[in-house]
Amino acid sequence: MGTISKETVSKIAKLVKLDVSGSEEKLVDNFSQTIKYIEILDELDTSKVAATYQVTGSINVFQDAITGTATLTKEQVLQNAPKKERGLVEAEAVFGEERYA
Amino acid sequence: MPKELNKLSVLEAIELLKKGQIKSAELVEACYKQIDAHDSKIKAFLLLTKEQAKEAAVLADKEIKEKGSTAFNSKPLLGIPYACKDNYNTKGIETTAGSKVLKGYIPPYESTVSNKLQEAGAIILGKTNMDAFAHGSSTETSDFFKTTNPWDYTKVPGGSSGGSAAAVAADMCIFATGSETAGSVRGPAAWCGITGLKPTYGRVSRYGLIAMASSTDSPGPLTKTVEDAAYVLEIIAGKDSNDATTAAIPTANYLASLANYDLKGKKLGRPKSYFDIELSKGSRELLQIALDKLKELGAPIVDMDLIDPKYSIAAYTILQRSEVSSNLARLDGIRYGQPRTAFGYEAKKRLMLGAYTLSAGYYDQYYAKAQRVRTLLVEDFKKAFEQVDLIVSPPMPGPAIGLGESEKYPFFGELMDQLAEPSSIAGIPGISVPCGLENGLPIGVQFMGPMFSEAEILGAAYRFQQSTKFHLERPGLK
Repeated sequence: MGTISKETVSKIAKLVKLDVSGSEEKLVDNFSQTIKYIEILDELDTSKVAATYQVTGSINVFQDAITGTATLTKEQVLQNAPKKERGLVEAEAVFGEERYA
Repeated sequence: MPKELNKLSVLEAIELLKKGQIKSAELVEACYKQIDAHDSKIKAFLLLTKEQAKEAAVLADKEIKEKGSTAFNSKPLLGIPYACKDNYNTKGIETTAGSKVLKGYIPPYESTVSNKLQEAGAIILGKTNMDAFAHGSSTETSDFFKTTNPWDYTKVPGGSSGGSAAAVAADMCIFATGSETAGSVRGPAAWCGITGLKPTYGRVSRYGLIAMASSTDSPGPLTKTVEDAAYVLEIIAGKDSNDATTAAIPTANYLASLANYDLKGKKLGRPKSYFDIELSKGSRELLQIALDKLKELGAPIVDMDLIDPKYSIAAYTILQRSEVSSNLARLDGIRYGQPRTAFGYEAKKRLMLGAYTLSAGYYDQYYAKAQRVRTLLVEDFKKAFEQVDLIVSPPMPGPAIGLGESEKYPFFGELMDQLAEPSSIAGIPGISVPCGLENGLPIGVQFMGPMFSEAEILGAAYRFQQSTKFHLERPGLK
């Protein structure tokens, strides 16, 4: 523990779809330092403590069922998409190269 | 000589507008004149909305002329120009959160905070610079340019709401909006010598605020006075059906409650661990003078224990990175924004570390552990507030640092923000107000209170501000 390898950095980069080529060494360094630091938390005994994921105390908040409220138009939804086709957002093919016409 | 219009506080400007002694158009013009004169050096703004603002001012003046001061009953900020941090989605106005990934993004909807301000009649002057996606404490990680500190152009303004804080300090607006995940309002407020309020988590809606760490993100005002902070909070606070984490607890009449607030007999806690960290000489001295002043105003100061902030640095680092990793996953460059190659180094770094701390095999060790530490912090503050009414501490370890210095630290932001992190993780509110200058640079003092105690911390800060006047000092802008 307390260290992280270049392979791990490359693996994470791939998982989060980021290109970090050229910065791997710097990231390995930074992550190792950070991980070493955060292990300071081991000094705190939390064995009898439940996790707090949010501080509001609210549980199961539901939105009122309101119908007919304003929503975005198709044009508004698409206005920022870099590639569009026939009123749809165009995305990269995920499984292979074939395209469905 | 009357005050130049851009130097007015919100309440001063409203008073003059109501009396018909000034026009909103003149206020807007004065702010832009100040921006034109100084923003080439300060670089607080990413974008200006001059045409739109001028049109809005004409309409505001018309409404005031027709209805007189009653126009302010339904529009309490009518004709008041403000600067908006660039992570608030503003419909039809480019919103980038200081990042190139969102370059060119025109939101089709309005954030709750900017919507409430607009409905209250406030006029947006432009969008302010920030650390990209709010990842930083100096505004240096903006993907566009660095903002400088109006008190000294070789220093940073703090961050991530650095553009907003600098704009207020340099009187380029009447007030500004910021947002804090852990220190992003209080920090720049302290370093720019203004008032910065971080409300309780859930007091102000996050809807339309570009998410950083969703479990601590808290929108808040940056203002010239505590009264202005109270006034703006009243307008932006409250339950929002678009943000399930907003509280149903009623908001208070924050401004009116200031007049009746008395520090006499209020027990103020001085957390030893917050003063044991490496503080600048000036911070230490000015904080002591501030504590003496508060004592003189009738509030006994009590030494107390709180969990060492060094643990909050670690817990916050994990929580923030993890939530960032999840929040930035949505930026695919397909529906909006640029491809993921446009992410800056800082965002990449945080996103990747977060993916690591959330990954199978490490989740319990890091993320779940940090959430258990959050419980310890929540309990620690609960216990503390059984002993004292409010907690007083420095908001930052010292005055603003030089441009470029932050690169020396592996997690600079977390170190600088360590005095804000425990309260942010626990969700409690805090406010920073100026308490003097160290070598010509502002130092702040912060007040923290229990959940939803905004009226209390504003009250204490107001009494302090009333008896000290440090907030009236302004940078020379040479």
